[in-house]
Amino acid sequence: MMPHSTFFPQSLHLLWVVIVLIGYSGSRAAEDADVPNFAREVLPILSNKCFVCHGPDAKKDELRLDSYDGATVDLGGYQAINPDAPQESEVIHRIFDQKDPMPPKKAESQLTDREREILARWVKSGGNYTKHWAFVPPRKPDDAKASIDTLVEKSLKTAGYNFASPAAPSTLARRVALVLTGLPPEREQLNRYLANPDEQAYESLVDELLHSSRFGEHQARYWLDAVRYGDTHGLHLDNRRGIYPYRDWVVKAFNDGLPFDQFITWQIAGDLLPDPNLEQLTATGYVRMNPTTSEGGAIEAEFQAKNNFDRVENLGTVFLGMTLNCVRCHTHKYDPIVHREYYQLMAFFNSTAESPLDKNAYLYAPVIEVPGSLAEWEKWEVLKPAQDSLLTKARQIIKTEQLEPKLLSYARQTLNWKTENWRVTNDLPIPTSPDDAKDWKSIENAKLITNEKFGGSKVAKWIDFTLNLDRPQFLYYKSNSEIRSDLGTDRIALLPGDAGEHHIRASLRGIDGKMKAEFQIINPWETLAKKKQWSSASELDQVLMVGDPNTSLFPEDLQREAKKLSVQLLKLRSYFTTTLVAKDLATPRETKVLERGEYNMPIGEALEPGVFAVMNPFPADAPKNRLGLAEWLTAENHPLVTRVLVNRVWQSVFGEGIVRSPEDFGLQGRQPTHPELLDWLAVSFREQGWNYRKLIKPMVMSRTFRQDSARRSDIPGDPDNLLLARGPVFRLDAEVIRDTGLWASGLLEARMGGEGVKPYQPGGLWSALAHPASNTKNYIPDIDKRVNERSLYVYWKRTSPHPMMTLFDAPSREVSCVRRSRGNTPLQSLGLLNEPQRMEMARAYSRKLLTTEEAEKDRLDEIFKSLTCRPPTEIEQNACLTLLKQAKERYRKDPGAATALTGSDTASPELAAWIQVVNMILASDSAILLY
Amino acid sequence: MKPFDPLHQFDLAQTRRQLFGRTALGLGTASLARMLHGEESHTDGLHHKPKAKRVIYLFMSGGPSHHDLWDYKPKMKPMFGQDLPEHVRDGQRITGMTLRQKTLPVCPSKYQFSRYENNQDGIWISELLPHTAKVAKELCVIHSTFTEAINHDPAITYIQTGSQIPGRPSMGSWLSYGLGNLNENLPGYVVMHAKSKHAEQSLFGRLWGSGFMPSEHQGVLLRSEGDPVLYLGNPEGLSRSDRRNQLDALAVLNRAQHSKLADPEILSRIKQHEMAYRMQTSVPELMDLTGENDTTFKLYGEEARQPGSFAACCLNARRLVERGVRNVQIFHRGWDAHGNLPGEHENQCKDIDQGCAALITDLKQRGMLEDTLVVWGGEFGRTAYCQGKLTDKTYGRDHHPRCFTTWMAGGGVKPGITYGKTDDFGYNIAHPDGSPMKPIPDKEKWTPGTVHIHDLNATILHLLGIDHKKLTYRYQGRDFRLTDVHGHVVHDLIS
Repeated sequence: MMPHSTFFPQSLHLLWVVIVLIGYSGSRAAEDADVPNFAREVLPILSNKCFVCHGPDAKKDELRLDSYDGATVDLGGYQAINPDAPQESEVIHRIFDQKDPMPPKKAESQLTDREREILARWVKSGGNYTKHWAFVPPRKPDDAKASIDTLVEKSLKTAGYNFASPAAPSTLARRVALVLTGLPPEREQLNRYLANPDEQAYESLVDELLHSSRFGEHQARYWLDAVRYGDTHGLHLDNRRGIYPYRDWVVKAFNDGLPFDQFITWQIAGDLLPDPNLEQLTATGYVRMNPTTSEGGAIEAEFQAKNNFDRVENLGTVFLGMTLNCVRCHTHKYDPIVHREYYQLMAFFNSTAESPLDKNAYLYAPVIEVPGSLAEWEKWEVLKPAQDSLLTKARQIIKTEQLEPKLLSYARQTLNWKTENWRVTNDLPIPTSPDDAKDWKSIENAKLITNEKFGGSKVAKWIDFTLNLDRPQFLYYKSNSEIRSDLGTDRIALLPGDAGEHHIRASLRGIDGKMKAEFQIINPWETLAKKKQWSSASELDQVLMVGDPNTSLFPEDLQREAKKLSVQLLKLRSYFTTTLVAKDLATPRETKVLERGEYNMPIGEALEPGVFAVMNPFPADAPKNRLGLAEWLTAENHPLVTRVLVNRVWQSVFGEGIVRSPEDFGLQGRQPTHPELLDWLAVSFREQGWNYRKLIKPMVMSRTFRQDSARRSDIPGDPDNLLLARGPVFRLDAEVIRDTGLWASGLLEARMGGEGVKPYQPGGLWSALAHPASNTKNYIPDIDKRVNERSLYVYWKRTSPHPMMTLFDAPSREVSCVRRSRGNTPLQSLGLLNEPQRMEMARAYSRKLLTTEEAEKDRLDEIFKSLTCRPPTEIEQNACLTLLKQAKERYRKDPGAATALTGSDTASPELAAWIQVVNMILASDSAILLY
Repeated sequence: MKPFDPLHQFDLAQTRRQLFGRTALGLGTASLARMLHGEESHTDGLHHKPKAKRVIYLFMSGGPSHHDLWDYKPKMKPMFGQDLPEHVRDGQRITGMTLRQKTLPVCPSKYQFSRYENNQDGIWISELLPHTAKVAKELCVIHSTFTEAINHDPAITYIQTGSQIPGRPSMGSWLSYGLGNLNENLPGYVVMHAKSKHAEQSLFGRLWGSGFMPSEHQGVLLRSEGDPVLYLGNPEGLSRSDRRNQLDALAVLNRAQHSKLADPEILSRIKQHEMAYRMQTSVPELMDLTGENDTTFKLYGEEARQPGSFAACCLNARRLVERGVRNVQIFHRGWDAHGNLPGEHENQCKDIDQGCAALITDLKQRGMLEDTLVVWGGEFGRTAYCQGKLTDKTYGRDHHPRCFTTWMAGGGVKPGITYGKTDDFGYNIAHPDGSPMKPIPDKEKWTPGTVHIHDLNATILHLLGIDHKKLTYRYQGRDFRLTDVHGHVVHDLIS
């Protein structure tokens, strides 16, 4: 191997020393300069080279070097560290011993001379231990005026440098918009800012972006990577899973500014909150996010354990920045976490009610019904209070007028109504395709059920039928979510239907697999009749009962109000969908330590749920369940959670974290480049009420962020920008590249949320992998405008995500990803230049340009303005115009090619030429990089 | 200046590749080997001189029946239909599929086995593999491969990534990371999916995915449908010279960007665009079989003319390694014969038999077998007892992890040998005297005669010049390996 000094210019050595010294100035500045800093210098060496044998997982009776007590144990007349006579310490002796060295000669990792020297100096100074920095709660620096810039500048100055000059306003506008919303700024926003790009204008721009609904979408995406959100179960059949309301909720939470401590609590334990609302329950989808299976031979106990391993380890990565995988099998080799503690943490999750195997089912219980898209969530937020207020009134009336007996007697009466009172006039609904007729069933228990197998058909099917009602009734449509369906324009007129004939026409569009649709006449009185208590009926049923036009038990105005609300609620409810949620069993499961992580080798006593001793204690009055766990995570003295979170937010803004191993804050992780800054951010975040916008805004407002991104010739030794002496440069993520193209070309659909959308993808990618019984075997691209929705909503099949995502380093979401790699491959080039949807973007954009701008140069200006927020330079302009000229000439000679490229009937060489140009610019680094 | 070097900290936190990849120009094909040894790496290997320069892995997904193909058990014949003696099963867990079955009847193979000459005392091979039998002298057949996983998803993830739980890089990614690429016009790690009538098992992107490694190490699918490589073809109406012009303009734009930002990744991306451009001709050239003569198709069979057939994939594999691609993997599904094993396995074997034999023969004729490793195998074997109804005509077999057969050829393995032994029921790995043994994988100690899947992977890496204990990638504070903390190179297999 080459000596690493060859690769590190001496100047950078200096730089680093400086950073480290500054980093731990303040309280530690008084330390003797000759005594190595234990946490930063000594502990990493011990962890890397000694702990394999002498660490937390040391064999019994083996020397422990992970604590002072262990290191000073009497080993029979001598000590590893002898505090009275440090020179005599066995450690010093052995690390320099030629014959019997430590680590032993055969050990894989050996000490370097420098490391020996540090260890010796440390032992000679008395061998004092302090805690690993990340296990000590963050503390704000003493300087009350500290800010991002003062803390960054301090290390810059000490290294002898200054901030880089500020980025050009146009560059900055693009940068900040991409960082906050994942899209370039809107033209009007941009112009407003560029007209007078002063401090105030910048802040207004930032505020606008922070409050754009696109902010939540973009920020949510990082979270979804971390919690491994996917639309399929992930293992074996990798069948569809109904959990996209969770994804929508995450977007909503960011946009609503839900304080992050609550954001965490709802996800871990929303179901355990008092009287949880739909949002809080939806959030518990986090607990259900682990990949699951129902493979033929799978053993339940094995997957009960595996599902829980996955949850514990995800929690470790997402909230603690700790890798817990090793502790599944044995006490951690490096970090002070013992085997038992892993299973104590697991005990929090081991009592959830879902079965260990998913039965390959979309509705993998427990599930609840919630709004199916963000627009519906909004409507729900309006209707819910209306419903609550109506029901409060109703309850009062029931109480004051002692209505309950009358209501009950009416309810009983409705049970006697026979289903024959409702009938479908024609025997069967008539499907357009006669082949399918046999699959249709007629009315049954007041339900019309259709069962049809859609063999990969993209075509909408129509159902037509007439229904005759002899009295006003509530008619309800429901489908088993295995399809996306549209009934008429409004799914179905969900009415307290008047008596008489109703003609109903519905269109259903299927995916591959059996779909079921039910037309049901519902009787809201049923529960009351059976359970004999008003309060036992669902809230919706209560509204329907109050509004039932067949009775006059309630005052007329209330009845009218309820009837109106019923229509609204039922309509909205028809857009509800199911989502997986967490729920605890009435009797908790027993959790024991599993020997070597083997599900069938439990050992010892049943464990109480518990947390890691090296971190803050479990809050004294907190319940020993997931709610208590959330309380522990969000406790003021938790050393890790805020640090881990702010580090990831920093990473999303600057391209790299302050701790550059965001997945590992443990002893083997990277040290923070700016420890004080990390702590300042972490503490400020908590102090400001866990307000996400207030965390991210100072980052983008900082001078640090606003620096020019060019590499500095005066700092050649810092390719990784450890000093933060320039602005960020990185290739944009898969989603941002796609969204930017859709947005610039005018194709982007604003619709938010809903079931995963399927843009075009090359045929056969799914079927080449999938089990024949899988319901994600055939990829059927969507045919409506939804294909142009933001990439956040693209359907995520965990064993085969969309190739344009995978090509650009999006994770599979089978496991947590808190840091994407940024590959640079020829396949990306092919994707950028040839992928059909990118061609669509180029076509749409070119058509738009040809109608909005006359001059070629204006058209180029327009493209560059969209993608780079500035006009092209002369060099760029010339390159584009040359390409345009070449292409025009070529298409004039070959109109057939122009027709083919433009996809239109008449050959337009000009349009075709522009498509080439736009396609090229969309692929250029000025469009796909953040800088 | 204090003697402490904080950069050391930075260094520790990464493997060499991670470190150098960021400081070097970062070509996607940069490998650990090249970083450490320079351009000549491929002849020197990463850690020692390699026996094999390339590998072709024929993966039989679903678990081929060792009973019906490779592991001849005449003593089972007279026990047809009798319950498998309890001492044979000896605590082996049973999948949920046969757990509730009242009996576990012994199910002898209905196929004829014949003895073929090899370089030892010969080898028994089933009539289902007549072509492969003809190259028996080249094969190193391991009867004692074993695993712990008993279901497909965990088992296939285990053998391909070293862990039963998703998230780790695939073996191919490890090789890409360790060895890099020899051809600037083709990807270094190519994956093909061969067609099968019984494609009844799932595959997963993770089997050739790069896990926590950068995506440049993931396998590139060579497809038989549509573009052979995703998005390879230009859109209709856009010719190769159009693309040339586009790329010229793009390079001007990107260089302009580079002159502003001085980010070396931009220069690297210009190179990637050029490589993509070259791939647009090198891949179709690769796929174009018109240059192959009749002898080739006689060897591989007429099926090799059908894109996507296993034979065609084998022919492609040979063409790929000829062009310097180091790492080719063919997945063939449909080996999960729970019910109608004879019907299904007969088709499966027809699919693969001639292609396997042809590939070996072809490589040998071209002088490439000696440094090309060919590996054949699945994720586990199948049970000695019948699943479902047992008749003399048909039967099924459940998953069996305790022993199964894999073979290797070329690339420095001993040709014409068998290795390891199973008991009379093909249920347990056995001592030379036939008595069952229960090897427990131990990271310190290897049990002679056994080949755990980690041992198999360690051996494959070793043949390619890689020490499986040294090829590490740091993630989450841990130096990960393909073989986790396990695996022993089985030197008995190596010539």
